[in-house]
Amino acid sequence: MFGISDPGIWLAYLLALVCLFYSIWFGVTHWNKDDEDSTNPQQPEK
Amino acid sequence: MNTLTLGIVVIIYMFILAWLGYIGYKQTKNASDYLLGGRKVNPIIMALSYGATFISASAIVGFGGVAATFGMGIQWLCLLNMFMGVVIAFIIFGRNTRKLGEKYNARTFPQLLGLHYNSRAIQIFIAAIIFIGMPLYAAVVMKGGAVFIEQMFHIDLHLALLIFTLIVAAYVITGGIKGVLYTDALQAVIMFACMLFLLFWFYRVMDMGFIEANRKLTEIAPLVPERFKEVGHQGWTAMPVTGSPQWYTLVTSLILGVGIGCLAQPQLVVRFMMVESTKQLNRGVLIGCVFLIVTVGAIYHVGALSNLFFLKTEGVVASEAIKDMDKIIPLFIDRAMPEWFSAVFMLCILSASMSTLSAQFHTMGASFGADMFPKLGHRKNANSTIGVRIGVLCSILVSYIICYTLSAGVIARGTALFMGICAATFLPAYFCSLFWKKATKEGALASLWTGALASLFAMLFLHKAEAGAVGLCNLLFGRDVLIDVYPWFAIDPILFALPLSTLAMVLVSLITYKKQDI
Repeated sequence: MFGISDPGIWLAYLLALVCLFYSIWFGVTHWNKDDEDSTNPQQPEK
Repeated sequence: MNTLTLGIVVIIYMFILAWLGYIGYKQTKNASDYLLGGRKVNPIIMALSYGATFISASAIVGFGGVAATFGMGIQWLCLLNMFMGVVIAFIIFGRNTRKLGEKYNARTFPQLLGLHYNSRAIQIFIAAIIFIGMPLYAAVVMKGGAVFIEQMFHIDLHLALLIFTLIVAAYVITGGIKGVLYTDALQAVIMFACMLFLLFWFYRVMDMGFIEANRKLTEIAPLVPERFKEVGHQGWTAMPVTGSPQWYTLVTSLILGVGIGCLAQPQLVVRFMMVESTKQLNRGVLIGCVFLIVTVGAIYHVGALSNLFFLKTEGVVASEAIKDMDKIIPLFIDRAMPEWFSAVFMLCILSASMSTLSAQFHTMGASFGADMFPKLGHRKNANSTIGVRIGVLCSILVSYIICYTLSAGVIARGTALFMGICAATFLPAYFCSLFWKKATKEGALASLWTGALASLFAMLFLHKAEAGAVGLCNLLFGRDVLIDVYPWFAIDPILFALPLSTLAMVLVSLITYKKQDI
């Protein structure tokens, strides 16, 4: 695959591409998704 | 491109950095702004800053040289950088870290764990490890940038190092984290553009496609120098022989050390606490991964393929054209890329160095001023940042001195070393603070001490690469390592220290859990 015969190498390339596509999918589908209402209280310094 | 033009390009770049640092300074009103950007940092700037901090000149120059010497096996590191460094870090760790940071109003990594475990000792211990250990990593990053400048422009190494260290110091000390973030974002864009061009130009120069180049690289495997064959090198498109010294270095030090170590990097973790909501982190996943595959993936790929270029132009492979692997990428850029690109690429390396350095200096300064000596400069003003600024200054001086003591070829290993120490020392306590309710203060302290001491012991007495260089084991016992039976001396300290610190965390927490509540 990719002109590389050793699976130890082409697997790294393949998984990196899978990871890239997953991150794109995740980023796009969760672009505006939040866990909760925005909470950012200005708390006193500890 | 002549020196005058180069000088002008660099001066313009420095002015832009100074301007961004000034904006950071103007927007910094209190300690929270200085340390966390008021927790309202733009997600794109945060993600770019995260990526730029992650990818230092050592990743480009050092690991690029490793790729040129040992081949594409280093692409596993690219994968782990993306998967662990972004996907797992942002989605799994980042979300909970942000919430925890907000809950405790924590402003630094040591403060986060110290407040969670309700232990000032934990906070000080982590801060001390950062303040003592991180200068080594910072020095390695400095060295990466300096080597490149020396190689490309034949100017005095010490002078170049001094100037760019002073510039980083200026915008970190004055602009705080906002100055760091804004400059990081610009630097990330420069790095991204440069790496894309590098990839494009390589194939243009070589006049071949992706698959064809990989095949050609496979075909030249018999040209691997004998000294590398002896340690397991089988060619640039093949993994080293399983269990060989090179395999252990690649898998345990470079891939696992850096790949797992990145999860517990204080300067990266703190960025999760800078954004307002989880939504911002979700956006960061996309930006971070795209950034990493283009920057890291490209330099590792082109690094390995540079052997084809050197073979075509010099008649020998990269590691024969130049023996010091840290100098392979600079030489390759000098010979293979258009002349104007050398100047732009210099900005790329400067950017990579400065973005990582600025974050390191800021983190070390925060550890000193906000964690170890929180009352420094607070007598008159509770929001004073003078302690952090003094800490930044001290960390710069220490890193600068260490940089002069580093030997050649140390860049990639130095990075892996620090990341390995971070993982072994911080990761179990950090992970458990986010996900395990039974984790106790005693467990965290035991884990931190075990991780740090086990790492130190393994480096001084077990792992030949460090133990041999330090010489303490030789002084005490008359041999480089305590166990000189292969492969024990080739296994990275992280593989001893991380399981031990994890075990300490779990066992001590289980024993002490019933006695207290966090």
